[in-house]
Amino acid sequence: MPTTLVSVAVGVLLGIGLLGAAFDRRSLAVVTLAAGLPDADAALAALGVGAANASLHSAFVVLGAAGLLYYETERREGSWLRARSGWYGVRVAWVAVAAYAVAGIGLDLFSSDAVALLYPLSDRYYAIVGKLVVSTQEGIVQTYVDFGGGWLGLASPGTVENHTVDSWLTPAGEERRLRLVESGWQAIVVLTAVAAIPAKVLVERGDR
Amino acid sequence: MPTSTVHAAVAFLLAVGLLGEYYDRRALAVILGIVLFPELDTALGLVMDGAHRTVFHTMLTSIVAAGVVYWDTTREGSWIRGRWGAYGVRLSWVGVFVHTFAHLGLDWAHLSGINIVWPLVDQFFSLDGELYYSATEGIVQTFVDIAVDPETGRQQVAAGQGGTTANTHVSSPVQPSKESSEGPVDRRFPIAVGGWQLYFLVVGAFTLLARRLQSTPEWIKEN
Repeated sequence: MPTTLVSVAVGVLLGIGLLGAAFDRRSLAVVTLAAGLPDADAALAALGVGAANASLHSAFVVLGAAGLLYYETERREGSWLRARSGWYGVRVAWVAVAAYAVAGIGLDLFSSDAVALLYPLSDRYYAIVGKLVVSTQEGIVQTYVDFGGGWLGLASPGTVENHTVDSWLTPAGEERRLRLVESGWQAIVVLTAVAAIPAKVLVERGDR
Repeated sequence: MPTSTVHAAVAFLLAVGLLGEYYDRRALAVILGIVLFPELDTALGLVMDGAHRTVFHTMLTSIVAAGVVYWDTTREGSWIRGRWGAYGVRLSWVGVFVHTFAHLGLDWAHLSGINIVWPLVDQFFSLDGELYYSATEGIVQTFVDIAVDPETGRQQVAAGQGGTTANTHVSSPVQPSKESSEGPVDRRFPIAVGGWQLYFLVVGAFTLLARRLQSTPEWIKEN
């Protein structure tokens, strides 16, 4: 997976973008935590439950959380969250679900580490990798999705049985590594998130 | 460049949050203009060697822009404030931020990098490496490599230095390669290369869409 640090950084950027009037230290902390949470399935895997990038990276976790949140805040009489924290609580909860899905799961899905998106229905890992180029000689070249045979084919490095996502708790090689930043663009994303927090605080104060 | 579409998507992601109450379609259009503007130096490449990633991709553009905005908005009779009010001031600062991080930052980490402090020093720098904690080696980072030359005993710092404007050409659809070649030229307009670039296109679109669907009650004021 692109590292948890990068997931957290994207979570920070999403939080700054979508929290709006609910932006403060506490709400940003909640959203950031949600962005990093899916990677905790590596810890569960080390305990023998599920697998890294599978159990908490499943789309069903997001669907379940979003459905529950919708029912709780919109359909139910006397919502607990609304009674407790009002508009603020509802906004923070939705942005946290978005950060979990987009920053936590999405980032891993678009990398070669891959995500078992349909776990536990399917053990297969999926990765959206490739390129999309418009060439004057060859037209549109697209290699992210394979449309062959009427099926939407995504690249897959394997299933839970034969593909191990490398992490500190579930090392794929011989050496334990806690990966923080893997490449230049990831470093820029982390730097941007670090700079965006004081920038947002400055504009919040209203003097810039 | 990571494609212009990626620059724009990351710029939107940043701008939605930083613009806050001033977020509107016009502001987004201005941000889009600011984040695409540096690519104009590709056209200069036709008349000046190595102009792409040099003329408008130097970090000095950020420093000068930030200085000008700071000077203008803090003086009496500010031009930006007089003409567009607080909206203009916010937009200017967000513009500087987006130019620095969504454009120069991402280009720094891509291919031959950017000519970072041109025209003071004519040298391309590219940011590449990794940072990890290993159980056996401790903290390892390979972005900046400091080594002692075994022959001269002098310290050498390698931070991704590349060539100069004379020998560096960053390919673009306007000028795919430095020398014009025989036969039909293959001009490639990349939209996304690699999973992460497509990812940021999705995230940018998601942020704009989510912001549209959000509703904030009248009695809550956003900054």
